[in-house]
Amino acid sequence: MGMQQKKEKEKDPSSFSYQFPDGDRRLAFSRQPSFLYPSPSPSPSPSPSPNPLMQRSHSFTRSDSKDSTPILLMLAALRAVANGSRPIKRLALMISLNVAYSMIELLIGLFTARVGLVSDAFHLTFGCGILTFSLFTMGISRRKPDETYTYGYKRLEVLAAFTNALFLLFLSFSLAVEALHAFMQDESEHKHYLIVSAVTNLLVNLLGVWFFRSYARVNIVYWKPEDMNYHSVCLHVLADSIRSAGLILASWFLTLGVENAEVLCLGIVSVAVFMLVLPLFKATGSILLQIAPSNIHPSAFNKCSRQIAGLEEVLEVSQARFWELVPGYSIGSISVQVKNGVNEDPILQHVNGLYNDLGIQDLTVQIDYR
Amino acid sequence: MERKNSPASASPSQVIEVNIDIDPDADPPTIPPITNPSPTGDSKACRGGTCDLSYTKDSHERFASMRKLIIAVVLCIIFMTVEVIGGIKANSLAILTDAAHLLSDVAAFMISLFSLWAAGWEATPRQSYGFFRIEILGALVSIQMIWLLAGILVYEAIVRLIHDNGEVKGFLMFAVSAFGLVVNIVMAVLLGHDHGHSHSHGHGHEHGHGHGHSHEHGHGHSHEHGHGHDHSDEHGHAHGHEHEHDHDHDANTMTTYFHHDHHHNKDVKEQLIKKEKKKSKRNVNVHSAYLHVLGDSIQSIGVMIGGAIIWYKPEWKIIDLICTLIFSVIVLFTTIKMLRNILEVLMESTPREIDATQLEKGLCTMDGVVAVHELHIWAITVGKVLLACHVTIAPDADADVILDQVIGYIKRDFNISHVTIQIERQ
Repeated sequence: MGMQQKKEKEKDPSSFSYQFPDGDRRLAFSRQPSFLYPSPSPSPSPSPSPNPLMQRSHSFTRSDSKDSTPILLMLAALRAVANGSRPIKRLALMISLNVAYSMIELLIGLFTARVGLVSDAFHLTFGCGILTFSLFTMGISRRKPDETYTYGYKRLEVLAAFTNALFLLFLSFSLAVEALHAFMQDESEHKHYLIVSAVTNLLVNLLGVWFFRSYARVNIVYWKPEDMNYHSVCLHVLADSIRSAGLILASWFLTLGVENAEVLCLGIVSVAVFMLVLPLFKATGSILLQIAPSNIHPSAFNKCSRQIAGLEEVLEVSQARFWELVPGYSIGSISVQVKNGVNEDPILQHVNGLYNDLGIQDLTVQIDYR
Repeated sequence: MERKNSPASASPSQVIEVNIDIDPDADPPTIPPITNPSPTGDSKACRGGTCDLSYTKDSHERFASMRKLIIAVVLCIIFMTVEVIGGIKANSLAILTDAAHLLSDVAAFMISLFSLWAAGWEATPRQSYGFFRIEILGALVSIQMIWLLAGILVYEAIVRLIHDNGEVKGFLMFAVSAFGLVVNIVMAVLLGHDHGHSHSHGHGHEHGHGHGHSHEHGHGHSHEHGHGHDHSDEHGHAHGHEHEHDHDHDANTMTTYFHHDHHHNKDVKEQLIKKEKKKSKRNVNVHSAYLHVLGDSIQSIGVMIGGAIIWYKPEWKIIDLICTLIFSVIVLFTTIKMLRNILEVLMESTPREIDATQLEKGLCTMDGVVAVHELHIWAITVGKVLLACHVTIAPDADADVILDQVIGYIKRDFNISHVTIQIERQ
């Protein structure tokens, strides 16, 4: 791909547009750079602005004022959900179902003094809280970058996915503790009345899995930040449904007379949830830790480095650092030593072109003269 | 160490170059290449060894924090075993539950310890910014645990409410939570203590602090004292920074910054006095462990009050629940500020103590500079800031001189050590 072929498009991490529709996973092997628009030279924004001060290539619209009253906030949230994309609507529906269900469960548990129902309601509420955070980030991630958040709000999606993954890890841990608890307890204490709630929970969660069915896999290649968020939501409801199914199975086995059924089922569910969530946790964690982009092989970086260092005018390449802002958008900075008196523009173009081919959209090149 | 990122030149001798090169910013661009055989190009990108992303300079401070945390962990484990033994002997669920809370404390400390230790790992090509982010993620996990525990406590209060048949002995609850409170207070004092010591060593360092801070004050930044605490902490770590500031000011010839010097001399005294008074300067990990312990002690107070009420008037169970709820909400509020910090770092947002508009204005007023765009300032962890931007200069200007000026300005005035500037001609 030569530099001449590259189109001058606005380099804006918050406005992706992909040529294939949502959910098309068949193009998993295509090279990334052909779908994202690389920007060869970081020129100022297309609008010719005579003002030399504070010229940026991102538009600076501060998003609409944050209304301070909670009612207006809620109305704004409702409006955002109504206008949002399909996953947002589905997620909002699921969350409201879950919240309604957990409220009912809590009240019933309080009135009938059944501890099991109350604990289940708490579990659900925590999960709902985290799902609400995911929903919130889906809405807010479309904002344009502004002064404080110069890279935009897309990172929040990765953070929401990480939080979901963390919650699932906690869940698996607490299920293991519950299994231990059941191991030490008498079988007569098993709470059979939980079956009804488990069945309802299972149904609601299966609905959620069906909504996000294209993400119902353990290992997914992430092309855009929404992918991570949706994947984490899907895993969340999947884990919840596995847990409910496990409870139902345990009850059934107990009535069949199988000993220690509860321990076994809970243990299996705990391990299953842990294995489910681990890849997502690692992927989101590595983005948050500023690890080099995972879709680019490290040897490719070395090769680019060597190519640049092999140029005539270049003395040394140093401080090459790359990181992923969100899946699909990588940023880097590099420092190039050139001989004195050399025109820097072609070198800039060349370096930018090289790294753009690799998939680094935003590169800052510092050229030092010696 | 830096050379891991530039495989094109892998000679170990270059490590030495970085340490020698502490040129003041009156650095003439006319040094012939022959006298500096191996390119000391890093002098522009990182001066005086402070570009070291492996944290070895702050290891002294790090080890102090680790020592404190280890002591706290050991104490916690001792108390926990005492409680477990006592609980099994007395066959009381309440005591065992409190032991479980202490266990969660231990877990939080372990996370903090691990983060502290991991932050010292060397940067690798894959992890080119070093491992500092682990601190932030560890703190995030810690805070999530605090929230989880608050929820569990509320749940337990509800369970107590439901089991109306008087199983709950108010006195036992009171006694156990009082013991837990004492333990937590001991640890809070341990974790919050003796940071003052490490900062009163060497007045030279304090001057550096003064400089660092009066920069911010001189420019009229918003004085968020809470943040000021944390950040002055971090400035204090890299002792190299302080020396650098001194050098830069001595070699200062630009008149525009001259009045700042007077500013500093006047402000240094005030800063020193203010600093002795401020006591909460902490590493983000120690701070999150401290928050955890603080949250626990607040919860213990709540449970104590509930236990006392149940002991005194067993029919007012609902007050126990209300109490627990109130105290849980209080605990959640204490974590909000730290959570906001963490969120801002993870979102790669401009750190609060840096005024981006000021920086841009300052850059644009330099001669030769036409425009500044794509300015990104972000932090790798609380206190370590990086900057990248594109500067458009007039076609006839000298790129090297302007590069030096820009980098010098940013490092001096805003104390940002890792700067990458892309110079373009119009």
